[in-house]
Amino acid sequence: MRPVTESNGSVAAEPMPVLVIRPSRGWRALGLRELWAYRELLWIFAWRDLKVRYRQTFLGAVWVMGQPLITMAIFTLIFNRVAHLRASGNVPYSVFVLSGLLLWNFFSASVAHAGNSLIGASYLISKVYFPRLAIPLAATIVDLVDLSVSAVLLAALMIWYRVLPGPEIVLFPVVVLAGAVLATGVGLWCAALNVEYRDVRVLIPFVLQLGMFATPVAYSVDVIPAKYRFLVLLNPMTGIIEAGRATLFGTPVAMEALLSAAIVSPLVLITGIYYYRRMERLFADLL
Amino acid sequence: MTVSVSTPTSSAAIAIRGLGKRYRIGEQFRPSAVRDKLANPRELFRRSAPARSIWALRDVSLDIRHGSVVGLIGRNGAGKSTLLKILSRITEPTEGEARLYGRVASLLEVGTGFHMELTGRENVFLNGSILGMSREQIRRNYDAIVDFADIGELIDTPVKRYSSGMFVRLAFAIAAHVDPEILLIDEVLSVGDAAFQNKCLGKVASMTGSGRTVVIVSHNMDTISRLCDTAVWLARGEIKDQGPTVSVVRRYLSEGTANATTWSPDDDTNPAFIYHSVSARRADGLDGDDAFPADLGFELVFDFTVREQIPPGRLSFRIDGEDGRAVLTTSDTDRGATSNAPWTLGRQRLRCVVPAHLLAPGRYYLTLSEPLRAGNRLHESVIRITISEQGSLVARDGRDGVVAPLLAWTQDGRP
Repeated sequence: MRPVTESNGSVAAEPMPVLVIRPSRGWRALGLRELWAYRELLWIFAWRDLKVRYRQTFLGAVWVMGQPLITMAIFTLIFNRVAHLRASGNVPYSVFVLSGLLLWNFFSASVAHAGNSLIGASYLISKVYFPRLAIPLAATIVDLVDLSVSAVLLAALMIWYRVLPGPEIVLFPVVVLAGAVLATGVGLWCAALNVEYRDVRVLIPFVLQLGMFATPVAYSVDVIPAKYRFLVLLNPMTGIIEAGRATLFGTPVAMEALLSAAIVSPLVLITGIYYYRRMERLFADLL
Repeated sequence: MTVSVSTPTSSAAIAIRGLGKRYRIGEQFRPSAVRDKLANPRELFRRSAPARSIWALRDVSLDIRHGSVVGLIGRNGAGKSTLLKILSRITEPTEGEARLYGRVASLLEVGTGFHMELTGRENVFLNGSILGMSREQIRRNYDAIVDFADIGELIDTPVKRYSSGMFVRLAFAIAAHVDPEILLIDEVLSVGDAAFQNKCLGKVASMTGSGRTVVIVSHNMDTISRLCDTAVWLARGEIKDQGPTVSVVRRYLSEGTANATTWSPDDDTNPAFIYHSVSARRADGLDGDDAFPADLGFELVFDFTVREQIPPGRLSFRIDGEDGRAVLTTSDTDRGATSNAPWTLGRQRLRCVVPAHLLAPGRYYLTLSEPLRAGNRLHESVIRITISEQGSLVARDGRDGVVAPLLAWTQDGRP
């Protein structure tokens, strides 16, 4: 008779997960599989922020609707009535500017939220392990919900002005997705930089503010002198906003702008994840 | 850090090899500012100069068997929490390696990620997910959690309206139901009232009974002695001693135990209250060494200044035996009717007499509490005394027992 030993490997009914902890060097893998395993936590984080935001105050919902509405009114007054800027196509200026604000506000809010999300979650990072990517990603999800709330506003305004979209509108979600890719990428860069350099926090809103005027939110690309137009077209948000308008109003969109958005957005996202993952090991020690 | 799947080659649940963690300290430790780098462009491309650094943990190798309950003990800054943080994957080691066989959950704090605006029910799902439970698992355990927490109807009220006791009960109840194969716990059992603490200890004890591997960090030798079969003593980031809990705890407590009948704090950070000294003295007032005769008793004299009004009744001390188990705890609220009277401001003295024939001969460690404006702070095992066998009933008759009281035996008249 042979004694039963534990070492023959067949004893374990199911393979036991083994966690190996050792110092990591250089660049880390993207870690998307692990993120997937923790997808419930990602939803829970987003759900928590939404719940708190929309429950705490009636103002929460009013703010999401009111902020773009007020900005739209001011922009219409200043740029349209005073400076006589025109929308592209036959779209009323207010609808035109709101469509731009919708996408820009989403981009800007999620960059700002993702950028500051780690500082706000430092109490979690120092106490429990989970894929750190979940924190800025949850911030972006929350802003996607805000985006859909303000999309209702845009729809209402379009109906009011009888601006009816063509079949291209089915591509609008694709545009939003592209915006989300870019915003997440920039947000991840900001979040990780923010841990290493604390004054990034102060820089983010400032740069975003400038960014809005460097992007055709309140004007169309046509008003830029041809000599400088390529500068605006290099900005990936130009492509996203112009493409968004193309799906909503059937306006033309420059191929260069689309190309720039299609190349830059995924690039920023992938490098953003890599940089974030590289900095990740320092989060608990620095925060 | 990587996760792979394989079968363990030994019966170890946790295998640690040469683990070390270095922290950079001093000015370099602070996150830098872009401003500084731009102001000094050369800095932009230069790696920061090697900063002063300390090893919080160095060359730690340890095997923890499946199903064992291990207590990590050591003074503050000995590296206990750092080790737990590395094993929990919160921070990375600087060198070495650790392998954990099985699903790991860590409990470094009770109520991590609780949101004040959310209800108890919502926080069960939030906190459960953060601790690594699936939604399905939380749903299955939901009733048991609410039951254990004893919250009742208030489960649908925002937790900001909970008393601190309720908050802690709910938080622990969630953590107690995580159900991993390896559980890492840091000093979280010292929360809540005594009754709930016992319930928690009972819960942890039942978890440990069912083949789970548990690593506990605690300053409380009583907790360690009650729960752990093995103890590991860390000192200055290295393993100083390991083995059966009773012997490690005994050696730990007796370290540097020459005369320590008087204690005074080394810092003065408490704005409300300051200890000048606390000392144990023979009841007959004679000076002597630290051995108090069993038939004499001793008194503990607190010399302190109350600087600001603080909630009354928080001057207390605990006497632990050599094995780390608590023998008794007493508080100045025992003064009776006047106990809840406000403090007199200024310097004062308070005495507590520990009567003769109470403690059995042996070594004892006194933990003192220092009242803060809110709560209190413990000074663990700062006074160490010996009760000698002189006049002891235990020594005379060879009796068993932790205490050696002289009880009243009376004879009734003939029935």
